[in-house]
Amino acid sequence: MPRSLVGGDLAVPDMAQPYMKKDDDDEDVEYSPFFGIEKGAVLQEARAFHDPQLDARRCSQVITKLLYLLNQGEAFTKVEATGVFFAVTKLFQSNDAGLRRLVYLMIKELSTSSDEVFIVTSSLMKDMNSKTDMYRANAIRVLCRIIDGSMLTQVERYLKQAIVDKNPVVASAALVSGIHLVQANPEIVKRWSNEVQEAVQSRSALVQFHGLALLHQIRQNDRLAISKLVSSLTRGSVRSPLAQCLLIRYTSQVIRESSMNTQNGDRPFFDFLESCLRHKAEMVVLEAARKITEMDVTSRELASAITVLQLFLSSPKPVLRFAAVRTLNKIAMTRPLAVTNCNVDLETLMSDQNRSIATLAITTLLKTGNESSVDRLMKQITSFMSDIADEFKIVVVEAIRSLCLKFPLKYRSMLNFLSSSLREEGGFEYKKAIVDSIITLISEIPDAKELGLLHLCEFIEDCEFTYLSSQILHFLGNEGPRTSDPSMYIRYIYNRVILENATVRASAVSTLAKFGALVDALKPRIFVLLRRCLFDTEDEVRDRATLYLQTLGGEVAVGNNEKDVKDFLFGSFDVPLANLEASLRTYEPSEKPFDISLVSREVKSHPIHEKAPGKKPHATAVAAATPAPVSAVDSYHKMLSSIPEFSGFGKLFKSTEPVELTEAETEYAVNVVKHIYDSYVVLQYNCTNTIQEQLLENVTVCVDATDAEEFSGICSKPLRSLPYNEPDQIFVAFEKPECVPAIGKFSNVLRFTVKEVDTSTGEAEEDGVEDEYQIEEFEITAADYMLRVAVSNFRNAWENMDPESERVDEYGLGARESLAEAVSAVINILGMQPCEGTEVVPNNARSHTCLLSGVFIGDVKVLVRLSFGLSGPNEVAMKLAVRSDDPEVSDKIHQIVASG
Amino acid sequence: MILAVLFANSDGNILIERFHGVPAEERLHWRSFLVKLGSENLKGSKNEELHVASHKSVSIVYTMVGDVCLYIVGKDEYDELALAEVIFAVTSAVKDVCGKPPTERLFLDKYGRICLCLDEIVWKGLLENTEKDRVRRLIRLKPPVEP
Repeated sequence: MPRSLVGGDLAVPDMAQPYMKKDDDDEDVEYSPFFGIEKGAVLQEARAFHDPQLDARRCSQVITKLLYLLNQGEAFTKVEATGVFFAVTKLFQSNDAGLRRLVYLMIKELSTSSDEVFIVTSSLMKDMNSKTDMYRANAIRVLCRIIDGSMLTQVERYLKQAIVDKNPVVASAALVSGIHLVQANPEIVKRWSNEVQEAVQSRSALVQFHGLALLHQIRQNDRLAISKLVSSLTRGSVRSPLAQCLLIRYTSQVIRESSMNTQNGDRPFFDFLESCLRHKAEMVVLEAARKITEMDVTSRELASAITVLQLFLSSPKPVLRFAAVRTLNKIAMTRPLAVTNCNVDLETLMSDQNRSIATLAITTLLKTGNESSVDRLMKQITSFMSDIADEFKIVVVEAIRSLCLKFPLKYRSMLNFLSSSLREEGGFEYKKAIVDSIITLISEIPDAKELGLLHLCEFIEDCEFTYLSSQILHFLGNEGPRTSDPSMYIRYIYNRVILENATVRASAVSTLAKFGALVDALKPRIFVLLRRCLFDTEDEVRDRATLYLQTLGGEVAVGNNEKDVKDFLFGSFDVPLANLEASLRTYEPSEKPFDISLVSREVKSHPIHEKAPGKKPHATAVAAATPAPVSAVDSYHKMLSSIPEFSGFGKLFKSTEPVELTEAETEYAVNVVKHIYDSYVVLQYNCTNTIQEQLLENVTVCVDATDAEEFSGICSKPLRSLPYNEPDQIFVAFEKPECVPAIGKFSNVLRFTVKEVDTSTGEAEEDGVEDEYQIEEFEITAADYMLRVAVSNFRNAWENMDPESERVDEYGLGARESLAEAVSAVINILGMQPCEGTEVVPNNARSHTCLLSGVFIGDVKVLVRLSFGLSGPNEVAMKLAVRSDDPEVSDKIHQIVASG
Repeated sequence: MILAVLFANSDGNILIERFHGVPAEERLHWRSFLVKLGSENLKGSKNEELHVASHKSVSIVYTMVGDVCLYIVGKDEYDELALAEVIFAVTSAVKDVCGKPPTERLFLDKYGRICLCLDEIVWKGLLENTEKDRVRRLIRLKPPVEP
């Protein structure tokens, strides 16, 4: 075995013992030098560190064994670690270079507690000032690992010297230490910026790289300094590709920030980024291309970056192919047309041995492909799917769903692909992704319905996932009866009743009933099948069968007529489930039956920013709104109907969220809740007196409604007294034309008699002073007459509404900050519930469609389709299509938008 | 940040592992994820052929050098391109120490020196040295020869 030149040989031949057989050939037995290694024995051997005559080679071997144990996850107790640590520090006595290098490593590995560090600091300080450069470099690295802030100030002087050391290893050690130390001690490290600045000019490539990284960390919050740094370095020479990549990142940051601050679209340093596209180092070229594609650039500028990326697609190096295709995949999400030139190369990559590259290529192609290439693409993907993992498959399935929605005429080949994927092996998430995709395609593409349903039926014949079977059966019940030949599905459904578990059987019974209700020709036969279900072993299945037999047979109250039966079977509750749950919880069993019509239908609004980016909220997410606001609405209703003045106002349509009328932490805190009735509005002022030394009496709100012409005041309910920190309410009621969305502005003044209170006794003085307090004005807007009510399937709901009620018009919204801002502004004006996650506008989108639903005052259902487009720099144009139960309301919605 | 450097044998046993900024409870997950990735893709792979993958927001570059599998995981500025630099530095140093692409036995024989190389190349999640000649000298505490 070759021996190393240094004394502390790290090879460990004397430990060789049989370890494992690689194969059955006895001559080729391999031994592990660490076979049979035991912590106790190694700790014993570590006693050699205490020998007065140190054997450097032996000590090196023991340290290697200790390192091996640590790497194998062997835990050292505190006592053991301390013992080894102290023993290792003894080795500073040896001048053997190899051993010293291992000692440095060992101290770092043991990561001692601060109370033991003092043992080594003096040795390390000595090494830090040593004439041997390598001692200095290593001592710096070890010290920086173990010291705290207070000790750092003691050694700061040496570190600053080290940064500008002639030896690049010492300088790099100090700079990298600085990068670590700046996290915990930013103020100290900031003081080194002159030295670091000098290091950035170093001739050594690595010193420059580390110096640049540290300088950026030190100055990251100083935009001007970063700009200067970039300015000087882009002109000078950067010596290593790694440093050049850092510079590209910092440059793009400067460009991004300056474009936000200037209106003229100036992009300083953009030429530098473009010049990097011609750099000789591949990593620099790719970094520059990436940064350019992330910016808001013209098609020509984008094209040059894409050309570079395209060249890398055929690189023999997998890392370059991966980096290029990953970048192109990102671009394809926002600007698919720009990537189409790369389609040929991407198709070649589909057979790349690296599955990550192949998956990225496919999902990119699915975004950029055109209609004619779909069939070929599907064929290629089929052969590829069998040998990738589920997580890649889900990505592909989702991409195919988007592609199918883009090219609906190609539904047949895509549905066939999805259905054959369903038959392959795969976990729940993968199968669910496919089923969801097929259901989406059926809902969106009418022609795909029958083929899609058949595929789903075949799947449930051999489906191991209860959840998916139930989901498909439910969907089949809604869609199957409306197909050309509903009878063909019955066999699949009834098979479930015979073969599956209780949950699926119960779902199948419900599905059968739906067919019976909608298809008269099948009704008698469905009855036969349902009667058989009466002998099921499971209560739920028998109960459902009984209920449906009675309902369809017209024998129970709910089935008075055919419409009632259909409403019962197909209608949704029409109230958010969370609201229903909350109301049921507060219902006390009594003679009075539970009245579902009293349950609030308002969905609590979710601020858009609370949603996880990219996560599509769906009906269940909306329905899962917290029950808190529901009970608030219920309690408003109860409270208002208990006040005699308001008890005759009829059904409360809506109560808004409180609007603050005072600043935070003022003397009196007031907010207002607007309660909307068909012909009345009640303003509830919630008042709090926050001054301990005051008692307010005869508190009223004088409301000036001159800017609200259609409202006439009818009564108000003042407060007799308002003690400190006991919130109470004042009510003011107005009459307005019935079911008219009257709007107006209300200015308010709080009037009261104020009495001083002795805080020690809590008694108020007898005499008071009349005073008034100006509070903010507020408006009743059109949105206050709209309930946010979600629909689970917007398309179905839209098509079920009378097309005659549709009103379409176009609007110019002028220059807006962004498309997203315009969308959110229109949603706020209308106060409606966004559906299917359409309130989220993808970054860089040039157009967007937003779907809204709601119930307008007078219980009129309203659906809105908003199509936004960007014309010019930030000019937003909007097409508004409204359908509602009442065409007049459709017109009103347009008036609201026109006046908003 | 270079989150992990991990050497394993072809059976998936860990030989050396270095984690930086990865909580202890997540290490087991990473270990098994990487070993699984290797078992699926490294079999039959050419010596030092680079493989690349991404998982959540991190990049992974891995390869087989001799009988030993090497995985490097990074995020943010250490994307697949930077990691390719790191893995090149590590494999060059390992081959330099062992004199050839190592068998598992040879790797274990040179264990201490490989740990030192790793210490020179990656320090607390940052790339410090890249050239094998320089690393070879540094682990013997000899100053590098500047060109």
